[in-house]
Amino acid sequence: MEAEEKFMTETESLQLITSMINKAKNNFSERGLLYLIWGWVILFCCIIDFSGIYFFKYEPIHFVWLLLYVILIFQIFYIRKQKKVRTTKTYTGEINAFVWITFTICLVLVIFICNIFKQYQLIDPLLLMLYGMPTFLSGIIIKFKPLVIGGICCWALAVVSPFINVEFQVLLLGCAVIAAWIIPGYLLKQRFKNEN
Amino acid sequence: MDFKELDPILHSQLRLAVMSLLISVKEAEFTFLKEKTNATAGNLSVQINKLKDAGYIDIIKQFNNNYPQTICKINDAGIAAFENYVKALKSYMSL
Repeated sequence: MEAEEKFMTETESLQLITSMINKAKNNFSERGLLYLIWGWVILFCCIIDFSGIYFFKYEPIHFVWLLLYVILIFQIFYIRKQKKVRTTKTYTGEINAFVWITFTICLVLVIFICNIFKQYQLIDPLLLMLYGMPTFLSGIIIKFKPLVIGGICCWALAVVSPFINVEFQVLLLGCAVIAAWIIPGYLLKQRFKNEN
Repeated sequence: MDFKELDPILHSQLRLAVMSLLISVKEAEFTFLKEKTNATAGNLSVQINKLKDAGYIDIIKQFNNNYPQTICKINDAGIAAFENYVKALKSYMSL
């Protein structure tokens, strides 16, 4: 940009404002990595968990879900690293982060309460309902339709889940992560490539 | 028609570009502003300090991984000044 003294007409000023606001808006930083990692790992856990119980009646297979703690630790390090290289902080990014924090807290509480009351059959339908919330809101916040559709898919699966045999419900979770995180994750990755 | 005077602090190409970028984000690093405005570091630094002296932006200097980092953030006075500037521009444009 040229030195400050250059005379600007009113039209040029408005054009400059518009162009700079667009430049800031197009600084698209969501590359979909976390959606893809969480999506694939949860899908893997769903398939292993279902196969272990349905085909082999092997109860300890439930421990496969402990893999999620490994992903959680990875996520903490990933976010810390991202913060170091990030050059801007946006209002949408901040709201989005709080949406996912709220989701995580609700998720932990739902699992905790269902376990206390031994209502295990409620866990999957409630998880489907919860998955829809941050996915839908993130889609609205970052204006990304596939996430909005993914969130709606989770809620549709939550409606279906009470009518499905409990041992098959975990497969609905798998379908939910494909619709809500894996497909939008790849589309986000593509959008990031195109815009940066 | 009543014409409002254009704020001389904002009616400058680089300062207006910086303010337009800062109004769109919560905070931005110096490197981000430099990249988006294509300004030289020296010129940008001078203009940012002028905005700070006018009370329109806050500048936070810190270290990140042992590297100095300058973070700029528009404040309430800056938002009000920017809004007034746009209103004034519109009053001229509606001629």
